[in-house]
Amino acid sequence: MLGFVIRRLLQSVVVLFIMSLIVFSMINLVGDPVDMLVNPESLPDEIERVRRDFGLDQPVHIQYWKFLTGALSGDLGNSFIFGRPALSLIAERFPATIELATCALFIAVVIGLPLGIYAGLNPKGLKARMIMGGSVLGLSIPTFWLGLMMIIVFSVLLGWLPVAGRGDTAVFLGIESSIFTLDGLRHIIMPAINLSLFKISMVIRLTRAGVEEVMALDFIKFAQARGLSSQRIIRSHLLPNILIPIITVLAIEFGTLIAFATVTESIFAWPGVGKLVIDAIVNLDRPIVVAYLLFVVTLFLVLNLIVDILYAALDPRVRLQGGRE
Amino acid sequence: MKKIQNIFTAKGETERSGLDLLRNFSQPTTFVSGVLLLLVVLCATFAPLIAPTDPYDLSVVSILDGRLAPGEQMFDGTIAWLGTDGAGRDVLSAILFGLRTSLIVAVCSAFIALIIGLLVGLIAAYFGGKIDAFLMRIVDIQLSFPAILVALVLLALLGKGIDKVIIALAIVQWAIYARTVRASAIVERRKEYIEAATSLGLSSFRIIWRHLMPNSISPLIVLATIQTAHSISIEATLSFLGVGVPITEPSLGSLISNGFDYILSGAYWITFFPGIMLLATVASINIVGDRLRVLLNPKIS
Repeated sequence: MLGFVIRRLLQSVVVLFIMSLIVFSMINLVGDPVDMLVNPESLPDEIERVRRDFGLDQPVHIQYWKFLTGALSGDLGNSFIFGRPALSLIAERFPATIELATCALFIAVVIGLPLGIYAGLNPKGLKARMIMGGSVLGLSIPTFWLGLMMIIVFSVLLGWLPVAGRGDTAVFLGIESSIFTLDGLRHIIMPAINLSLFKISMVIRLTRAGVEEVMALDFIKFAQARGLSSQRIIRSHLLPNILIPIITVLAIEFGTLIAFATVTESIFAWPGVGKLVIDAIVNLDRPIVVAYLLFVVTLFLVLNLIVDILYAALDPRVRLQGGRE
Repeated sequence: MKKIQNIFTAKGETERSGLDLLRNFSQPTTFVSGVLLLLVVLCATFAPLIAPTDPYDLSVVSILDGRLAPGEQMFDGTIAWLGTDGAGRDVLSAILFGLRTSLIVAVCSAFIALIIGLLVGLIAAYFGGKIDAFLMRIVDIQLSFPAILVALVLLALLGKGIDKVIIALAIVQWAIYARTVRASAIVERRKEYIEAATSLGLSSFRIIWRHLMPNSISPLIVLATIQTAHSISIEATLSFLGVGVPITEPSLGSLISNGFDYILSGAYWITFFPGIMLLATVASINIVGDRLRVLLNPKIS
């Protein structure tokens, strides 16, 4: 186990290093950030001065060396646009993204789980088929377009919910979040539902598959033969058996929620990391793009490692060998 | 050699699924999706012929026609059935042309990804050992990141343009093809006809190309269908975010993005209709692909 963790950590370091090398060398081929930073009417020597200030006049390998030595001491460079450390800009906005992703995950479970159980228990019924049809639609519908439609309906036509931003936040138990104020809740509800839609469909499908599999097993038949109420069977025999795979999948999917938050944040002007990085890509703010990328790669490597360890802990049949068969 | 191969390719199977295909496509949902998909492809192919106006001919497009509601008459007498956008372009025509761009990007990228994935998967399965472990490790690592994120990063690195989007989407998708091909090729690899071919002294290239490939390719048909739907949505999302296809040659995603600026003023049709078209396309491909998966896989059903 320990050997596995160490090997995976070493491998993660290699992946991070290669990633940084590729990203750094390729990002220098796209556009000229200096064009975005100076007034188009500046004199050539003014442009040269800006280029020198940002260290962009040096060859790529020297820039990369500077970046790498900085990165090892936790400094991923300053944003060209904001003039502040890229990593602290990301750290400031990350809580808003986590908040959005957590709310979306919560909604996905609260809505998806009951619907999935229902569809699994009554597979032939009309309602179950409608639920499953809805989940196909949910997987096909373009998330960003649905977000715009929600704005049209709930903000423009009905005027119920605000269009953009995070609203008021409050601190509760040391966590600053908008779900603790009414105004914040009104702001988060649309983006969270929008982000969760895809996951709701996924949870429905996973749950239904799990329910159908478990309900056919002998111990459920014995429970029914013992005359237990169907509520009790669902609660103490069905749920514990289907929850483990669902929880593991959701743990992996939390990462994709953070990735997809990029889109939702752009629509609802949610002040998270996703919005920051999209703006950075458009404005050629290279340090932020590089820092975000390394940040996300690290996040995913850690998430995957945790999931693999959890798998092994929950299911002794899984042997950890570093991914080889 | 032909004979040995024929014994093991199980010819009867394709005939059976041909019949099943007909029977299954008579189900209402699948039938409707199939027809819808056919219509979508036809619309995209013949867009220049059936579109009421050419939305990119600047001599025709007039700002005076800007933001007409659906059904209103344009300056030159044409009726804009789905309204016009802020610059006076007919939304219906823009959708038909946009659909074309979306489909071209998706199909090209799926095709390139399929070729790369096929090659990598076959090589991994045929040679096995260290080569296999190395290639599959790369696949694992790539698949542990969400597609949209990888595509976003690639486009940040590659810059804008239709060709760049196709490259990015191909890089995003190759891994899933490689894993699927490897899984089926590794089973074929152990069968007698490969052993026979090896003992006849055929070159590795010939065995892979003539024997391994034709027998491992069928799971890719379903995968390619579903991946095409997937890459249509990814492309639309990227274009919506402003990092996808350039605004000079808009896809459905860029049309929706364009309408984003007008939704607060109530001009819903600029975003609504391209989105419906996107949804119809993706959903019909998904349903048809799902049906195909059930049909071609004897384990399900």
